[in-house]
Amino acid sequence: MALTTETHPVPTDHNPLASMPHDTHGGISNPVLGMLLFITSEVMFFGGLFAAYFNLRANAPQWPPINPETNEVFQLAILPFVGPATLLLILSSVTCQVAVWGIRRDDRTAFLRAMAVTVILGIIFLVMQLIDYSLLGSEGLTLSSGSYGTTYYTLTGFHGAHVFGGVVMLSVVLYRGMAGQFSGRHYDAVEAASLYWHFVDVVWILLFSLLYLLPGKTAAT
Amino acid sequence: MSSSPRSRTSQTAIFAVAVGAAIIGLSLVLVGLGVNLLDAGHIFVTGLFPPVAVTTEGAQIRDLYTIVFLIAAAIFIVVEGLIIWTVIRYRRKPGDDTLPPQTHGNNIAELIWTIVPTVLVIFMFVISWQTLSAVDKSSDEAQTKIRAVAGQFQWTFDYLAPDGKTILYTEFIPLASAGGGMNVPAGRTVQLSLVSNDVIHAFYVPQFLFKRDVVPGRVNQFDFTVNESDVGQTFRGQCAELCGSGHAIMLFEVTAMSAAEFDTWLAGKAQPAPSGEPAASGPAPSGQPAPSGQPAPSGQPAPGAGETLQVTAQGVKFNESALTATAETPFRIDFKNEDPGTPHNVAIHQGSPTGQEVFKGEIFPGVAEKTYDVPALPAGAYAFVCTVHPNMTGTLTVQ
Amino acid sequence: MATTTLTPAASASRSALYAWLTTTDHKKIGIMYLINSFFFFFFAGILALFVRTELAQPGLQFVTDQTYNELFTMHGTIMIFLFVIPILAGFGNYVVPLQIGAPDMAFPRINALSFWMLPLGGILLLLGFVTGGTAAAGWTGYPPLTEDYPLASTGTGQDLWIVALILIGTSSILGAINFLVTIFKMRAPGMTLFRMPILVWTVIVTSVLVLMATPVITSALIMLFIDRNYGGSFFDPRVGGDPILYQNVFWFYSHPAVYVMILPAMGMVSEILPVFSRKPLFGYKAFIFATAAIGALGFSVWAHHMFTTGAVYLPFFSIMTFLIAVPTGVKMFNWIFTMWRGQLMLKTPILFAIGFLMMFLIGGINGAFSASVPVDFAVHDTYWVVAHLHYVLFGGSVFGIMGGLYYWFPKMTGRMMNETIGKAQFVLMFIGFNMTFFPMHELGLAGMPRRIADYSSTAGWNDLNMVATIGGFTIALSMALLLWNIFISLRSGEPAGDDPWEANTLEWATSSPPPDYNFDRLPEIRSERPLFDLRHGRTAEH
Repeated sequence: MALTTETHPVPTDHNPLASMPHDTHGGISNPVLGMLLFITSEVMFFGGLFAAYFNLRANAPQWPPINPETNEVFQLAILPFVGPATLLLILSSVTCQVAVWGIRRDDRTAFLRAMAVTVILGIIFLVMQLIDYSLLGSEGLTLSSGSYGTTYYTLTGFHGAHVFGGVVMLSVVLYRGMAGQFSGRHYDAVEAASLYWHFVDVVWILLFSLLYLLPGKTAAT
Repeated sequence: MSSSPRSRTSQTAIFAVAVGAAIIGLSLVLVGLGVNLLDAGHIFVTGLFPPVAVTTEGAQIRDLYTIVFLIAAAIFIVVEGLIIWTVIRYRRKPGDDTLPPQTHGNNIAELIWTIVPTVLVIFMFVISWQTLSAVDKSSDEAQTKIRAVAGQFQWTFDYLAPDGKTILYTEFIPLASAGGGMNVPAGRTVQLSLVSNDVIHAFYVPQFLFKRDVVPGRVNQFDFTVNESDVGQTFRGQCAELCGSGHAIMLFEVTAMSAAEFDTWLAGKAQPAPSGEPAASGPAPSGQPAPSGQPAPSGQPAPGAGETLQVTAQGVKFNESALTATAETPFRIDFKNEDPGTPHNVAIHQGSPTGQEVFKGEIFPGVAEKTYDVPALPAGAYAFVCTVHPNMTGTLTVQ
Repeated sequence: MATTTLTPAASASRSALYAWLTTTDHKKIGIMYLINSFFFFFFAGILALFVRTELAQPGLQFVTDQTYNELFTMHGTIMIFLFVIPILAGFGNYVVPLQIGAPDMAFPRINALSFWMLPLGGILLLLGFVTGGTAAAGWTGYPPLTEDYPLASTGTGQDLWIVALILIGTSSILGAINFLVTIFKMRAPGMTLFRMPILVWTVIVTSVLVLMATPVITSALIMLFIDRNYGGSFFDPRVGGDPILYQNVFWFYSHPAVYVMILPAMGMVSEILPVFSRKPLFGYKAFIFATAAIGALGFSVWAHHMFTTGAVYLPFFSIMTFLIAVPTGVKMFNWIFTMWRGQLMLKTPILFAIGFLMMFLIGGINGAFSASVPVDFAVHDTYWVVAHLHYVLFGGSVFGIMGGLYYWFPKMTGRMMNETIGKAQFVLMFIGFNMTFFPMHELGLAGMPRRIADYSSTAGWNDLNMVATIGGFTIALSMALLLWNIFISLRSGEPAGDDPWEANTLEWATSSPPPDYNFDRLPEIRSERPLFDLRHGRTAEH
């Protein structure tokens, strides 16, 4: 190409912004990239909480420690609430992805149905978590029950807050979907929200494994 | 762009005059405020080195500092010099609009100024690591073991038996000038343990060129050996980790005795505890003789005949600011220490808190209560203070 | 070349205010960031003057020790979170879309939200002054001093501090997301990654640091809040918690934060030096790699703030800290050799850039002392560290910010700042700054700890403290000159035109100030200096 000093006019219109490209480089859309970056920051947030958990656990002579109220080791029950809730959350990720596939192929009905199911599953997860909290509270495990209680409620509590945020986000997507704002060519918000929902699910799987499945340790006599 | 064209020389001259005027003006302000400029200038230059170390570990740190300083000074002179020289040499001459050579870079240069600094920093790391291994250690074989207990807002020193647990003597007064301080044997390795009663503090003696945090929930330890040549000297120290409103007053002093003197002194202090059991860790005043500071009154009205004053210490403050007592009559002070784990006492000084001490009550940690029998005092103005916390004061009027 | 200005019709002042309050235009938002940040800069500067006034002589003359602790805590907190970090985001906001030829940021409404969280966070923080006392545990806020202990920092002020910082941190994170999406997705045709101005690169690395580190301090602050208010056991050793845990989580953010505070300022210096030397930046690619290396290494050194805790693996953090000096040195040499054999036009922007080089060098050198663990045992938590941090943050970031202000003020306002006042400000600031902070090296070595309201009159620290205080007031005087310059330049500064500096990058290819959506037409982009190429028809020696 010859070297010139010509300028290349950017096409203008009555409304300059309308004809400016949203992005001049292909690939994933701006909202999806933004959401991926946001999820990165959320991963680091949970990272800080996980680091605290590992640190306190390593320092403690016994884990789980003894519950001063019952004089027995603290126990977290997987049944009847947390285990099934976990399965439902995993299922909700599947239905969420089904919704995304639906709108990608312009099948609005499939999209709306799957998204509605996802929202309902999310709400059920939250309700089951809250019931489980009140049971644990009555057994003597609270935020102020030493490092065990503090880390348990902080980790699961902030996860629950993120689930709540995700439910709100998906509800907005559902509402906008019902108002006809999405199509097979325009569904960025759906994709972005679904990425967030998958992230929330993955965090739960990690949390659940850490808090409920990882073997404890007893103090050396 | 600029208003009137000036020659480069006159621009420089104006600049220099402006800078000179600013410096002279500021110097005059300083002199007016009483700053000894010559002294300050002297410290400016010599103060770029830490104090001469009084421990063998500190001396090694100072040697390391010297090497780092020399490298730093060299880098400073070369690079700052390069900046200043470049700015002066390549100033645009007025009227000269030619474009200079548009050099984009030089890979060899990049390589050089990547590799040379890397070698330099690795060298500095290695010598630092060597010094670290020599100075940062703690061995249970140390002959003398002391525990410094930091609290809000004072230092307490427990002298421990060789088992590292039994407390032989507890010194509540952190300053040597107030009759206390931490005594150490010169020429002998001392193992110092650090515990905190509350928040994070830091044990810092500038002449050791060393500090270590005092963290609640853990015990930090380090060894030091004061040079024999520094026998008889006292070194100042203070807390170096923000610990609340009293952070600035958490001072202490370390006094170096000869090893023999130290052993004698400690043996004299470490009398067997009345109950015969070694105290648990912490500043419990075990092994202390009966309340100090007053001979048994003879030929005077029996103690307890006079009034009883109430004094309470709370939040490292006295609740009372002014007391009165009757002259020529012994009286009592009913002293409540409401600060858990914090040692306090009531002492009476003539005239002002820094006046002659005429009575010193036993120092004890809270929460506890003791009654002091104060001998008769002539009429006059006195001050009552806490020997451990010199900022805790009040007035005592005896009339 | 074409200069078009879209002049909006004159509007009533009420709707002009409304326009500013509801704007999503990155240029207006950038200016609001600058105004908000400068307000907090002067506020925190006055707090510093109180600190220096108290310390000028031994004895507590003016404030109680508790109040003193509040003063330096708020000074540090405001300077870091409400001045340096946001003002650099503000410059980025204004300049980056222009430099890459974009019409705005990727998410304009989130951009506005990011800004407005700042005055809100600032108000929350300052409310401590009227609720019985602000936070008083240092900008670092270590527990157990910040736990619910008897003589600790228990008041509402400390909780307000926590909430304000969480809000401000969130603002930062949203801004970082915006910058990254904008830069990666909205560059003009021809603007490849390796033709972007260095400032844009530094904003990329800074944004990655903000994105990944800030959430970690959010988690630390939340854990502290739970300990203080809900009986939590994260950091309270009485109930199984660990104070050192806080320090680790806190510094994992706060060390990368210092690179957040310096990298954009380095980017600005990298814009100014080539323009005023009339040569390209020396070693453009090396610069980018060095910046990325600093960003990456910056995550590996956090525990060098904890060498004296006895709870840290010392050799690792020491070697990594030493290694960070290498890419920093690479940049220093690249800057110097940008000026070398150039044609230096010594106007105010480059004076501040040169001041940056000279002062940041000292900050880097005294940092190397602290990297050596045994030396750190002597100087940690003393005035040596106060000297170091001010040489890099003031001598570095603030000098860079001043350079950026003088450089881009014409673009933002259409008017030049006064050169004579600018030079006077520079001289006074340079002298005042060194007078304040150089003596602190000696004070620290002589044993004066940080964060003390008062000191013993027999320790030998009296004269140097007085010198430092006078230096502080000299800095204040230089700031008065700055305010005066801004005021008169806004009213009657010389009209700037599109490109008063004969600069290299795209923001100078449009009017001053630029129209809405920034450009009517863009020059061809074939290198990192599109305007230089345009001006010289690419026939200049390459």
